[in-house]
Amino acid sequence: MSNEYDRSGEPVVQRFTREFLGEPNRYQIASAGVALLALLTVPFWAGQYLYVFALASIWAIFAMGWDIISGHTNYISFGHSALSGGAAYTTGVLVHNVNPDMAMYITFPLSILAAIVIGLLFAVPTLRLEGPYFSLITLLGVLVLTQLVYIYGEYTGGELGITAVSTLTYNLTNLYYYTLIPMLLIGAVLVVVSQSNIGRILRAIGENEAAIESSGIDTTRFKLWAFLMSAITMGIGGAMLAHFYGNITPSTVLVVDRSLEMVAIAVIGGMGTIAGPIGGAFVFIILRDEVLTVFGSTGRWLALWLIVLFFLVFLRDGIFPFIWSRIGSIGGGRDE
Amino acid sequence: MISDIITILIVGAMISAIYALIAIGFTMIFGVGGILNLTHGALLMIAAYAYFVTQPYIGRAGGVIVGIVLAAVASYGVYMGLVRYIEENVVITFMATIMAALALQEAMTMAFSQQAQVLTPIMPGSVAIAGTRMQYDQLLAFVFSWVMIGMLWYYVTNTKDGRAILATSMSERGAIFTGVDLPRVRRQTWLIAGAFAGVGGIFIGRLQQTSPEMWLEPLTLAFMIVIIGGVGSIKGSIIAAYLIGYIETLTVALLGAPYRVVVALLIIIAVIMYRPEGLYGREYLE
Repeated sequence: MSNEYDRSGEPVVQRFTREFLGEPNRYQIASAGVALLALLTVPFWAGQYLYVFALASIWAIFAMGWDIISGHTNYISFGHSALSGGAAYTTGVLVHNVNPDMAMYITFPLSILAAIVIGLLFAVPTLRLEGPYFSLITLLGVLVLTQLVYIYGEYTGGELGITAVSTLTYNLTNLYYYTLIPMLLIGAVLVVVSQSNIGRILRAIGENEAAIESSGIDTTRFKLWAFLMSAITMGIGGAMLAHFYGNITPSTVLVVDRSLEMVAIAVIGGMGTIAGPIGGAFVFIILRDEVLTVFGSTGRWLALWLIVLFFLVFLRDGIFPFIWSRIGSIGGGRDE
Repeated sequence: MISDIITILIVGAMISAIYALIAIGFTMIFGVGGILNLTHGALLMIAAYAYFVTQPYIGRAGGVIVGIVLAAVASYGVYMGLVRYIEENVVITFMATIMAALALQEAMTMAFSQQAQVLTPIMPGSVAIAGTRMQYDQLLAFVFSWVMIGMLWYYVTNTKDGRAILATSMSERGAIFTGVDLPRVRRQTWLIAGAFAGVGGIFIGRLQQTSPEMWLEPLTLAFMIVIIGGVGSIKGSIIAAYLIGYIETLTVALLGAPYRVVVALLIIIAVIMYRPEGLYGREYLE
């Protein structure tokens, strides 16, 4: 960050935006505002797509949860659906086996707790080590959890899953806001974390962990805190997903493909930026459920994965950081 | 009781031989390029489907050869067409290879449907060994595995190209100083790894299942074996393959098949906690 003028007398709001948004120009502020406004007014201009947008909001939560640990620190998780799926299944199993009328204020915190516990099982043995250990454990973890769902089929419904969870609402407009508002709140918190010193350290761990470590920072602690934040986010999203669908099956909430979708969303939107994966979720889900369906039910997946590959090879930073920097360079732009 | 133990010993040896085939290619690519090739499981799938498609026309031996060649070519193609351009970034490579594997899975689903296919036996028939009935194909896998390991050992110790691969996996910088052509070594390594995956894939496809989703389990197996054996060590991979193979066989015998992956997770956590560099790993941790 350049030191152009004395900032001691800077107004609070200006200081805040500089700290957290990195001196955007007026076009960037305007486009971010338009995007936010567009999201808040979806029922008025895209009423027939409300269900898809609501689903995308939940996936945005998952992608942000993935991004805060994997996108920032480059410890790639291939099993984040174990956290969200674990939370969804906790909700489902409680409702299905204990009490069908169990209130959400009981199931919701317990689901988040389940995500945290599963997350700690992943994270504690592996995050102190550099290298691919974390990825392997997360990959295995999601396979194990899927297998456990089948093994304990009498409680989890096995392949067919649990259908007893109450849906949030049948009104699509309400459903959309029930998913959008929590998503935006989580997004706001995570953007602040990501832009704060904590986020900078996490990104620096991704760049060069040895350097950070030798400057006296306990990187393991930062990684664990980031993972904890991630697990809480996944827990919230997972419990929401359970109530969104009203049923829980391994293939909709848990299997490893769902984890890789989270990776794909973050890659398309822009890893390590939090706001990028939010946009990425809308792009991905709309591509998946509305646009690419022209290729058939299998072909759309092939097309999706090829698109993600294209991004990984040619546009690593993702689509939204690319657009953001393009808008930022309108009118000369200040290069940092 | 005694016969049960003998059964476990024999069955475990057969399955472990296939695991060794799968893990060797994976560990070689890691040793030479520092790349964890997550398309490895998809290469197995390609070989199995190649055998499935070509075997009715060109016979069993022909099908096996086409499967191995196709897997080697596919492996080469993954390197030249994709990994070569991104290999300087380990994390991007990591994610790109698993996305490529998913794309291949969907392509196979489109071509052959989700349905698991049954492969024709390579050598029909079975034989009883010490009271345990074994298919000839299981024995064949065991033989293939050790013949290929022997050939690989000869290659990396007695031929110039092979020794270049070994040198590169020991020290990339040292290899460059002694005049090793690094891109050439990498290309060769991917070809060889693909051939190993091809053999493993045909036997996995024949003895377990051939379906578009068959890539995931062997991939996690290879990943685990390589971590336990020590990243980049071929000897460690072979030993770890037998370790995992026997533990799996025991788990299936004592607890039942669904618990295989659960036990595997516990073992891998124990290894990561107490010996993260694996059995024969050079110090991978910094």
